[in-house]
Amino acid sequence: MDKKQNQNASFMVRFNQRIYQEDGESKVQWRGKISHVQDGDEQRFSDFKDALDFMQKKLSELTEKATEHRSSEEQENIIQKSFAMWKTIKDVGPKVIKETLKDPKKQFTNLQGEIQEKFTTLSDEISEKVQMDQWRNATRSDFHEIQNQIDGLSSEIKKLSKKIDGLKK
Amino acid sequence: MSEFKQQILDLEHFKENAEVRIETLGNFRVWRDHEKIEAKEFGRDKTMQLLQYLIANRQRNALHKEKIMDDLWEDWNDRDFKVAMHGINKALEPNRQSRTEPKFIIRQGVSYQIDLEKVWIDAEALESFIIIGNKTYTSDSEVSKLAFQHAIDVYRGSFLPNRIYEDWTSEEREKAQLLILGAYISLAELLLNENPSESIRLCQNAINIDATWEDAYRIQMKAYIAKGNRPQAIKTYMKCEVILEEEYGISPLPETKQLLKEIEAIN
Repeated sequence: MDKKQNQNASFMVRFNQRIYQEDGESKVQWRGKISHVQDGDEQRFSDFKDALDFMQKKLSELTEKATEHRSSEEQENIIQKSFAMWKTIKDVGPKVIKETLKDPKKQFTNLQGEIQEKFTTLSDEISEKVQMDQWRNATRSDFHEIQNQIDGLSSEIKKLSKKIDGLKK
Repeated sequence: MSEFKQQILDLEHFKENAEVRIETLGNFRVWRDHEKIEAKEFGRDKTMQLLQYLIANRQRNALHKEKIMDDLWEDWNDRDFKVAMHGINKALEPNRQSRTEPKFIIRQGVSYQIDLEKVWIDAEALESFIIIGNKTYTSDSEVSKLAFQHAIDVYRGSFLPNRIYEDWTSEEREKAQLLILGAYISLAELLLNENPSESIRLCQNAINIDATWEDAYRIQMKAYIAKGNRPQAIKTYMKCEVILEEEYGISPLPETKQLLKEIEAIN
């Protein structure tokens, strides 16, 4: 496995907001710059899609580098998986950013809600699979029962071992 | 004397008299009692890195030891951290009595912080000067100019240039760069009529940092006009138009286009 730092990609994104009047109407323009910290490359953008493409390029390079010692089939498979994660970001990312820029407070509440919902679903799934409410503390008789079962199993194993020894002879 | 001017003097006084003085913009240099601490006094590079990390995170509340170790070491253990922290304290306070608390690095349990009351750091001073410059921009232009000038004097380049590939330095580098761009533009605007040549120079400094900083081109155009150099003002617009097209695929703002029209209308 590569060093920890070689598995990281950090990006610094700068947005520069321009509000201006044109044809008697207020307009807003976003200019941006994205930098990849680990190699110092940077790209400017006025469409956020270009920033995402830049990130995708850097991340795929990272995956490629980390898997170069593997077979080409395996490498292809990992890169495909990496792209699958990326597709989600590209589909959802711009929408989240657009909404956040429009109304940061509302977007924060939405994200909080979503996280809360995920937690609730997860805890429901756990409760369905593990009937925790039917659990009770082990009693002395439970320990006694387990002890008897272990003793029983031990004597069975001894008998079987004897039989195997007999067969070998 | 105004309250803000006094603040500028206090900041200068602090720089002159601080027991420990650290430069991080354009270079990394540390002085103890006005004497430069040589790199070898820090011993390992990790010791210096830990000090730089504490500087980059100086405005956060006490930093937990584990967070610091996670950011700086791949496989860390307590001993590495102790050695590096000991190295800092030894370099900053070589004559400290054993079993006494370090003076410049505050420790609270397992959290650490650099003491900004005792240590002068250029990046911190840069921000303080710019805050004063912005606060007095409309109310006291003389103090504002002085504050921005001090900020510009302090800025000698990007934050920790020898650590540009360490992600824990990026935030501070970006912050310092935006602060200095703002200082160049503000001072250039304040000096537009009084000293257009200086205004042009300041804008050029901003353009050298960020070639797409449109405000800088606009002020430069105005400054060339103030100097009576109409062709150069038009040339500046052209440069701005080319760079915005190249980098963003957009044209200058209506405000800049309007300025060009006004310049072209001058006989």
